[in-house]
Amino acid sequence: MWKNYFKISLRNLQKRKLYAGINLLGLTLAITSFLAIGLFIHHEWSYDRMYTGSDRIYRINQEFTMGGESQLASTSPSALMPTLLEEFPEVETGTLVFDLSIFSSVMIDAGTGNSEENKFAYVDERFFEVFDFRLLAGQPGRILSEPNQIVLTENTANRYFGSAQNAEGKILKVEGKDYLITGVMENFPSNSHLDFDFLASFKTHRHGREPAWSPSNYYSYVKLKEGADIADFQAKLPAMIEKYLGADMREYGFSFAFFPQPVTAIHLGNQSLNSIKPGTDIQYLYIFAVVALLLVVIGVINYVNLATAEATERHKEVGLRKVMGAERFQLFGQFVAESMVLTAAAVGLSLVGIYLLSEPLTGLVGFKISLDPLLSLPGWMGILLFVILIGLLAGIYPSLILSGMRPIQALGNKVKIGSGAWVRKGLVVIQFFFSIGLLIATLLVKDQLEYMQEVNLGYTKERLISINFHYNLIPKAEAIQQELVRTGSAETIALAANMPVHVKAKYSIFPGGDNDREVMVTGYAGDHHLLKTAGLELISGQDFSETDMMRNQQADTVSGYPILLNETSVKELGWSVEDAVGKKVNFGGGTAWVKGVVKNFYFNSLHHQVGPMVIFLNPDETNVMLIRIPAGDPSAHLASLGEAWKTLVPDRPFNYQFVDQAYAQQYRSEEKVGILFGVFSGLAIFIALMGLFGLVSYVALRRTREIGIRKVLGATQTDVVGVLAADFFKLLFLAALLAIAVSWWFIRSWLQGFAHQTAVEIYPFLTAILLVLLLSVLTIFYRSWKVYTLNPSKTLKND
Amino acid sequence: MIQLTELDKFIESRFQRVFLLKGIHLTINEGEFLTLMGPSGAGKSTLLNILGLLDEDYQGTYSFLGKDIRAMKAKERSNLHKSEFGYIFQAYHLIDELTVYENIETPLLYRNVSSSDRKSIIAELLDRFKMVAKKDLFPAQLSGGQQQLVGIARAVAGKPRVLLADEPTGNLHSAQAKEIMEVFQELHREGTTIIQATHARENADYGTRLIQLIDGRIDSDEQIA
Repeated sequence: MWKNYFKISLRNLQKRKLYAGINLLGLTLAITSFLAIGLFIHHEWSYDRMYTGSDRIYRINQEFTMGGESQLASTSPSALMPTLLEEFPEVETGTLVFDLSIFSSVMIDAGTGNSEENKFAYVDERFFEVFDFRLLAGQPGRILSEPNQIVLTENTANRYFGSAQNAEGKILKVEGKDYLITGVMENFPSNSHLDFDFLASFKTHRHGREPAWSPSNYYSYVKLKEGADIADFQAKLPAMIEKYLGADMREYGFSFAFFPQPVTAIHLGNQSLNSIKPGTDIQYLYIFAVVALLLVVIGVINYVNLATAEATERHKEVGLRKVMGAERFQLFGQFVAESMVLTAAAVGLSLVGIYLLSEPLTGLVGFKISLDPLLSLPGWMGILLFVILIGLLAGIYPSLILSGMRPIQALGNKVKIGSGAWVRKGLVVIQFFFSIGLLIATLLVKDQLEYMQEVNLGYTKERLISINFHYNLIPKAEAIQQELVRTGSAETIALAANMPVHVKAKYSIFPGGDNDREVMVTGYAGDHHLLKTAGLELISGQDFSETDMMRNQQADTVSGYPILLNETSVKELGWSVEDAVGKKVNFGGGTAWVKGVVKNFYFNSLHHQVGPMVIFLNPDETNVMLIRIPAGDPSAHLASLGEAWKTLVPDRPFNYQFVDQAYAQQYRSEEKVGILFGVFSGLAIFIALMGLFGLVSYVALRRTREIGIRKVLGATQTDVVGVLAADFFKLLFLAALLAIAVSWWFIRSWLQGFAHQTAVEIYPFLTAILLVLLLSVLTIFYRSWKVYTLNPSKTLKND
Repeated sequence: MIQLTELDKFIESRFQRVFLLKGIHLTINEGEFLTLMGPSGAGKSTLLNILGLLDEDYQGTYSFLGKDIRAMKAKERSNLHKSEFGYIFQAYHLIDELTVYENIETPLLYRNVSSSDRKSIIAELLDRFKMVAKKDLFPAQLSGGQQQLVGIARAVAGKPRVLLADEPTGNLHSAQAKEIMEVFQELHREGTTIIQATHARENADYGTRLIQLIDGRIDSDEQIA
């Protein structure tokens, strides 16, 4: 019986190519998106679950409070881990990770010259006890237990030595010092929040040999014993803090608190915490899950609509089968089988589609989408369940309609599926509601993204490049600067702690010169070329001069050293822009005087308001060299800068980054959302339009005779299109109203996440609605034109 | 076998009842070959549909083998419909998507006949109607006469006691019509009760009884030869 059903389904699909094509394509697109999103969500959800006992592994986050302001950080002091291991019996093991890339890049030499590497960390000898990655070479207990040992990942070993076996036992020069390669590990999987190329023994580092309670630069991970209670563990931490830091905390007026965070919650957790790899805002996962469901619903609705509409064409078959003794449930089974065959085909095509798309999509999603989670037993069961569910969802309503027809009616030509019309109309409204809504949301999101690119940042991010500048080079800085400017490929050059894109260092400022009132500010260290190079605007007072630089180095404590404030600082300190100049403050532990005020600039992402900032001279804190290149073709200037750099700094490669790109980088996740939204709303509209095409075809077919009569009576083509379009326009109008309401609500809540929001304008709404309307008119026009051109003598003959 | 008493069928239009059948009294015995004749709209097809349990919207009583159809449960009626009746249509009404073989197989599928039995029944029918070579063709590839032969094969596949035929030769030319009627005659000889509706007087000559319908009433009822 089932064999028979499937055979008939296949033949039916073959016969009705347009109908089957629309349904198959629609379902395939919808299911491909659904599966791709599903795999993406699965990947994000699976972060850090691959370690043995991953539910017992916690990262210790730290809250540091001073002067009423507290800061949550994901790093902690180097003394924390040894103390926990020694004093807490419930701790099974633990490890410490020092991600060097937050400070600087590293020069690596395997005997073939220096290359700059970023994914470098110091970890202690228990790293592999906590994170049990596979070792391809080396003894688990022995690696990383002595100073100057290093473990490479498989890819890195291949890159430098050709193979894991080749690498083991070799010497690698790191910043000129010899490290012995004691092991090679598997590559960090894409769903681990840890991501390094080099793991060096923490014993090499000063704090590895002498743990201290300051600074707090280290990620600490503990693995609790089985059955240990995390709440009990956390409750014991304050006593430990008191024991080691109590006296200091009282003396200097700060306080510490530690909060264990499950390792599995790092990736999707608090995004403002520093992490080794950028996390994913869980909000976006929810949004994508909803979009995935919407797409499948749109695809399913296509099927339901077309299949019910098509029922009129199949009434003869249904009638005959009933006459021959088919029971209702048997017919029902047949039609459900048909929808399942189609769904299964669509799922099959989707799997192929994802396989083919995984490569091109890697850049967009940030990892290679793998079908592996689906190719396991639970995966197959899931697919089967999905086919049955979607097949039923799509098939149940048309099957009920078809199998419920009375045989005499069905055999005659008197079938009117009038009762189902409102269901179909309702479904069309839902489809267009979803697709117009998605389109509006896409346009609104795009608006905000463009706004963030174009907003006046207060500095000039174009033609500005940044080179990582190692502190070793600081003595040579002046010479390098002069030489590079001389070649004519640099307009101005400055040393700075960071790019102006994100400055994070926190300082305290005491405006009265005493310890009365404290304001937390962001401190931006640089040299006297910084304002000019970054394009910051001075609104009162003066910029730093070369004399300031010299005097600074001689530590002129009497007059204090000069600083620049931004507008927010001035306001928070209670001054005006004009009278701020010349004021004395206590800043960073010394006396300082305000030399000038700069216009506010965005030194943080636009999710935040511009906070108070102090710019001060301190070349010792330099991490980057900012270079403003002249207008014109940047590649020529970069080439000549590179040449000059090679002669000046032969041991460090000329690795630069455009500041505007670094700026755009901050909005990667928003940009991704924007692109994906665009793709998915395009798909949604496409699928919905295909459905509309099918439905209009069906209506046109059913009204062929009516149109024939109208034509005989003198109706023009426009009249005929009008007759067919009128019904659909009412539906589209209703859908548009719903879409406006819901997308308005969505964008209001999404924009809440930005301190700087674009104004919500009317045009995205109009554009979306008009676009969908236009495409619908074209669809309807095309279809009705075909009917219109039929010869009335033919269309009127039937019946 | 079949007993109709005071059978009326009408449709309500806005102002009046239009009777399609009025006061039909009819007894049909097993083994009869009955022909319904009459002009278009006389009620031939309506009566056939009621006899074949395809239409239950009528007044009066219809009893089959002494049992009132109305009094039966839906399941019972459905079983009766499946086991006792075979249908043949003027427009053949084969399923276009199925081959000759599969068309004949369809009623057997709905009767839950086992696969091996189905094969032997269909083989026998194909042989009998000389269609073995055409079993894998689709209806569109056959002539009208051949399609109707498939229609008959399909109707008798389930071994019904009553065969209902609505203008079985209406779309055929005379030579094909003759062939079909000869098949009917043969089925009748084997004991099948046949009720046919037709416009053609010569078709009635193959049967045993002729009923003339006019405006929904029985005008005459005569035995032939």
